[in-house]
Amino acid sequence: MRQQPLLRVVKRDRAGLPVQAAAYLTAILAAVLTGAVLLLIQGVDPLDFYGQMFTLAIPGSRYPWRMVENYIKLFVPLLIVSLALALAFKMRFWNIGGEGQFIIGALCASAAAMKLGEQLPQPVMLLVMSLCGLCGGGLYGVFAAGLKVKWGTNETLLTLMLNYLALYLLQFFAETKAPWNLFLDTASARPKFARFPDSAQMLLVPIGPFRLNLSLVAAGLLCAALFVYLKYAKGGYEIAVVGDSPSTARYAGMRVGRIVLRTIFLSAALIGLAGAFYVSTAGILSASVTNDVGWTGVVVAWLAKLNTLGIVATSALITVLQYGCQTASTSYPAIDANFANLLQGVILFLVLAADFFVRFRIVVRGRNGKEDSK
Amino acid sequence: MEERYAIEMRGICKNFGRVAANKNVSLNVKPGEILALLGENGSGKTTLMNMLSGIYKPDSGTILVNGQETVIHSPEDAKRLGIGMVHQHFKLVDVFSAADNIWLGDEHSGPLLKKNRCDVIRQMAQKFGFDIDPQKKVYNMAVSEKQTLEIIKVLYYGAKIIILDEPTAVLTVQEIDKLFAVLRRMKAEGHAIIIITHKLNEVLEISDRVAIMRRGESIGTVDTAQATEQLLTERMVGRKVTLNIDCPTVEKTRPLLEIRDLTIRNDEGATAIDHVSFYIRGGEILGVAGIAGCGQKELCEAIAGLRPIETGMMIHKGDNIVGLSPKAILEKGISMSFIPEDRLGMGLAPSLSITDNMLLKNYGETKGPFVDRKSGRAAAEQVIQELEIVTPSTETPVRRLSGGNVQKVLLGREIKSGPNVLITAYPVRGLDIHSSYAIYDILNRQKKDGVGILFVGEDLDVMMGLCDKILVLCHGKVMGVVHAHKTTKEELGLMMTGALDLSSKYADKPAGIARDSRIEEVEP
Repeated sequence: MRQQPLLRVVKRDRAGLPVQAAAYLTAILAAVLTGAVLLLIQGVDPLDFYGQMFTLAIPGSRYPWRMVENYIKLFVPLLIVSLALALAFKMRFWNIGGEGQFIIGALCASAAAMKLGEQLPQPVMLLVMSLCGLCGGGLYGVFAAGLKVKWGTNETLLTLMLNYLALYLLQFFAETKAPWNLFLDTASARPKFARFPDSAQMLLVPIGPFRLNLSLVAAGLLCAALFVYLKYAKGGYEIAVVGDSPSTARYAGMRVGRIVLRTIFLSAALIGLAGAFYVSTAGILSASVTNDVGWTGVVVAWLAKLNTLGIVATSALITVLQYGCQTASTSYPAIDANFANLLQGVILFLVLAADFFVRFRIVVRGRNGKEDSK
Repeated sequence: MEERYAIEMRGICKNFGRVAANKNVSLNVKPGEILALLGENGSGKTTLMNMLSGIYKPDSGTILVNGQETVIHSPEDAKRLGIGMVHQHFKLVDVFSAADNIWLGDEHSGPLLKKNRCDVIRQMAQKFGFDIDPQKKVYNMAVSEKQTLEIIKVLYYGAKIIILDEPTAVLTVQEIDKLFAVLRRMKAEGHAIIIITHKLNEVLEISDRVAIMRRGESIGTVDTAQATEQLLTERMVGRKVTLNIDCPTVEKTRPLLEIRDLTIRNDEGATAIDHVSFYIRGGEILGVAGIAGCGQKELCEAIAGLRPIETGMMIHKGDNIVGLSPKAILEKGISMSFIPEDRLGMGLAPSLSITDNMLLKNYGETKGPFVDRKSGRAAAEQVIQELEIVTPSTETPVRRLSGGNVQKVLLGREIKSGPNVLITAYPVRGLDIHSSYAIYDILNRQKKDGVGILFVGEDLDVMMGLCDKILVLCHGKVMGVVHAHKTTKEELGLMMTGALDLSSKYADKPAGIARDSRIEEVEP
């Protein structure tokens, strides 16, 4: 007689919130432990390293507020990009062109800064830069969406390719010394990006010694607006229906093409805005302006299951990982920022595993089963 | 040998999460016997059969095959034990030939496509009395041919126990007769057959015994010789029911929707609907009969504005609706609900809640930027109550409901929008008797309110009972319009296959054109 297998997988009902929370926390803990082993192998004390990493090395720092300021610089772009990508993913439009849209947004904002920076006052200038970033990123994204709507091209491939187009365009501007190239520093003999005029620098609101980056406030407002949009507004409802079943949307009289174009414009425009915020905060364009947010954003959006509040939490955590690792590694020459990427990968894998345990449970062949079958 | 069963299932339990799909179910079949498995939707028939064919594993209970206790781990195990299942949705590779589809799944055939495979399979098919061309590609096959191929496949693998899941749902009357002849021959050869079907007349015709299930439990077995439709229904539903489809007579109005000389292409560009004319009056149910794929879907889509038309006119209450957007057609009061094979493909957003699905067609009517979920919830509550939809709450995603309830949500929303023309395709597809009757009642209530209904159906008995007139399509052409109460199933069957053409029976009145047509009013 053949026996029941020793282990088998059984689907479970939606696990409750405590179970889910426990599963994900375990996953993160297990990832941290894996990282600890890797640190030990390299002769680094994991407790000390993690201590510095998770506190962003704030205790004992001479400029603790500076750490927070730098953290915000990295956090805001990731947050906005992740939110924007989630918007597209909700509609099952696989926009992986975040990198490209970010670059184009940053380029457009920089062009405005270099061209008009001397004439306009700071608030107006920042507004103009934001608008340029919005439109630049948005149009770049809508190009891929338009082709999809019109001829059914594959948006994944197209947005991916457009990333490289944008990247090489940026490199072209970075390396071409010419009188028309307004991005470069005219004083330098070698090609080098110029600093923006003062009016094109992001507004910083001083609170004591701490200077609050205004883009954080903007990102917070955006979060709230997107949350309401997706949950309560007609536009959000349409995104949900189109994502779930385009044929149903068409049947219900929705103009699916128009909804796709509108949503992707919004998604890409927000990514462009993030690009504008970033260059204006940095005060200068750079060849590695994206800091990989277009890719990390995809990971964040999926880890958070496209949930707006989840994205806030996840992007905050991922930024702690990246920035914390960067600061902590300054005291350990053996470790560099790549360790953050490694840890991020391990977390991603283990959270996916946790996801499996949230949806299924494993049953061990028991005595009961055998007695029943007698 | 008397008590030797081909299959015996004892105390089978299977849970999906908190839902018990099968509770302590027992069942047995003897060799040379046809057992009908009967039960409402969601009563666990398919789950039970999937455990026999190795797709699911029981949580507890025993399965005995030929008296031997066994655990079936996988479909391969089932195959080795001689159990074969013909699924409701065929599992065939479309671009392969019949022979290759069989060859592909045979472990003894080895890694090579042997040259003589077609002959081997032809010989084997002839042995069982099937007529099939092994070289024909599956995508060129009619539905009945595909089903025959599935049965041959199962027999070729050496199955002695054959399970058929709703095999007659897609067949015409003549094809069903052919299938039953095959089943009887297999029975005579000593095969054990389990057949799942909702159609009681078929159960009485073909089976030796009937096993009845209700809400995951086995209610018992009845010898078919002692069974009647009434008795079976009562045991299945658990209470007394009346089994008459009403067809109330309602005063008819002038044509509400007229279709004249309509031609439509399908997705591949071939002609799907070929110069079709018909009309629907208020207070009338017009049935559309035809073999699956004879243009019903394209016709429904064209009326709803989802598919461009080649030529022809569609006149609603004296207004031309050709070229209008789906939204504009909705606003005229023409509602279309099409239940595709997967039940969810068109008309509902499966991951969204019942509330959100209620709002699908009218969310744009409220002022302001926000969706009015309050009215949606009220609508959902009303529909749930009126149509007796079983659901944990109004916020449950539609895909978590059982088939019958999904269809009620769809139909409920369509009726709530107060249409004057209701186009409904396969509203009872895959539904059990109880839910089906609930839906016929809903349609009859609409008819009494003066709504014109186009009913695209599959079951001829139902159409003859429910409809006033029946339009028969064959390869996109009208074969005639007959009075539902004056026709016979045989006549309809012949028309569906194109053997009988009544479209020009009366020289003075071609089929599908109303004497009091309103089309002249719109012509320039």
